[in-house]
Amino acid sequence: METTFNRRLFAVWLVLVGITLTYLWIDHAVGGGALPKTSSAVTVAAICLALVKVRIIMREFMEVRHAPRLLCHLTDLLVVVMAAALLGAYAAGRLVA
Amino acid sequence: MIATASGTRVATAREPRHVPGQPDMWFFVLFESLVFTSYFCVYLFNRARHETAFLQGQSHLILWLGVVDTIVLLTSSWAVACGVQHARAGRYQAARRDAILTAACGLVFLALKIVEWARLIHMGKTFTSSQFFQYYFFLTGIHCVHLLIGFIVLGVLVVQLSGEHRRSQVVVETCATYWHTVDFFWVLIFALLYVVR
Repeated sequence: METTFNRRLFAVWLVLVGITLTYLWIDHAVGGGALPKTSSAVTVAAICLALVKVRIIMREFMEVRHAPRLLCHLTDLLVVVMAAALLGAYAAGRLVA
Repeated sequence: MIATASGTRVATAREPRHVPGQPDMWFFVLFESLVFTSYFCVYLFNRARHETAFLQGQSHLILWLGVVDTIVLLTSSWAVACGVQHARAGRYQAARRDAILTAACGLVFLALKIVEWARLIHMGKTFTSSQFFQYYFFLTGIHCVHLLIGFIVLGVLVVQLSGEHRRSQVVVETCATYWHTVDFFWVLIFALLYVVR
């Protein structure tokens, strides 16, 4: 019998949902609620987890893992540039605050 | 490329790797990603300078609602990824069903966003209320513009899959690539607006 259910894609979806739910745990761990506190660790973790999800989406859902190496490298470079830019902008903002 | 029982593909030595969809779409993805990154950088820079004010604005958002939004969009991405694989295997009815499920998830996301906007506006939190809400409405608004374009793209996808003479795997992959881009932009927007402290 032909199998039409793709277990790999489902596993990827589960991982992505799991990472998303991690945000609830992070929020709870640092005392989420009406008056949240500032936290560089949470900010850095949130950005890094989001970029991990972006890379998983690109590699698995967008099928970059089957793409030519140039596209693989370009998308990886994009994630690195995004990480550097976002964390750099946050650090720069804190420095001039 | 060979298909395994689980539906995954294993690259064989003979088959060359291929760009999913039209290469032009990938230029768009990379360009738009850099544009969105610049928005995010401006937001994070200003946020870091005025953390307390931004936290006050952020405290009016409901984190679990953002989580639900994200899971709904991730589900839509999963569905369209399954649709691409079904179309590749010639299972066009299943692929069409996946495209419709993707659009349904997109509509749920849009409905949740409208409910959230209405709730915030009812609370007096508008574009001009504070710097945080300026960024909030700008980022979620521009994302929704991309989402609305995504519905047109999904319409093209459904039409492609419905007509026997119109089916093109390249177009199917191109449409899916666009939708995944809308998804990962939201993944970043959610982290930056709802989670960062």
